[in-house]
Amino acid sequence: MDPLALFAVLLKDSALALGGLGALPLLRQDLVATGLVTDAQLVEALAIGRLSTGPSGLWIVSLGYQIAGPLGALMALLASSLPPLVILPATAVARRWLMSVPFAGLVRGASLATAGLLGATGVSLILPARDAPSWWQLAIGGAAAVLTYQGRLHPAAVVIGGALFGVLLTR
Amino acid sequence: MRELAKIFIAVGTQSVGGGTSTLLLLRRFLVEREQRISEREFTEAWALCQLSPGIHLVALAGLLGRRIAGWRGVIVAVSGMMVPAAVITAAMTAGYGVIADQPLAHAALAGMAPATGGMTLGLAVVLVRGARRHGLRAAVDAAVVVIAFAVLLLTAVSSVAVIVVAAAMGALFLGRERPTSPEGAAE
Repeated sequence: MDPLALFAVLLKDSALALGGLGALPLLRQDLVATGLVTDAQLVEALAIGRLSTGPSGLWIVSLGYQIAGPLGALMALLASSLPPLVILPATAVARRWLMSVPFAGLVRGASLATAGLLGATGVSLILPARDAPSWWQLAIGGAAAVLTYQGRLHPAAVVIGGALFGVLLTR
Repeated sequence: MRELAKIFIAVGTQSVGGGTSTLLLLRRFLVEREQRISEREFTEAWALCQLSPGIHLVALAGLLGRRIAGWRGVIVAVSGMMVPAAVITAAMTAGYGVIADQPLAHAALAGMAPATGGMTLGLAVVLVRGARRHGLRAAVDAAVVVIAFAVLLLTAVSSVAVIVVAAAMGALFLGRERPTSPEGAAE
């Protein structure tokens, strides 16, 4: 994929997302559905994002690297870093508007829709359309959801735990 | 400026596992240890970041950098937090690419896929929990979540369209109170 075209897709999806993982449903639709990456590569990027340092939104850098190497990673870094900086001029010139009731509703609507889209993406990663998951994969998915909801276990530990169970139970 | 860069590079390279640890380190370095900004300024900046698109922590780094050292501070803060962490992420991806075809990596992926799926599902529930209201408003909020969930799973409608429509509907019908810092927003 042309690096600039990749940048455009990543920028659009980052700009329309709320939060580091908010772009996941959008990117899955734009990149997996079109065959540019597989669901497995998406999972690898998410896992590496959790195991790496910095904001979890940097999983997009891993995805960019998988698509177009170091240049793809650079495109992903720029595309994920630029949209949030809109808040700087916005707070300088339109702070009152940001605190208005309609804008609060706009953010709430986008946030709730993002939650629904993330939930559906999570379900489809646990229950892929092609292969029926085994009982232990369903158990890992359920346990990871509960642990994330409770927030008691470090996210990297959840990923490592999933990988360990995978190694132990697929042999 | 060099000290500011050191702080944000430390945050970007020492926080493992995502937003919560990054947020905690930012607060520890800037508010508690270095006292570059006050607790109130930090909290206000974090609340404003919930209104930004994309990675909220980038918005936070930008706001805090501007508060401390103007526009040069923005560049130092955002690049300090993001660039080294992105290099580490890319290096890890390259390293994983070397072993990705090994049977052991395939086995690990068979466990990581449902784990990341479950984490994504759990995060969705955390986001809903953080935004919850009561009474009829809660029912309307739940309807938005369920409709978005069903649209993505059951139809071929674009996720972008779902977010744009939900945002427009939200501006018209859901704006009854200001957003607060939702739990899990650090993600």
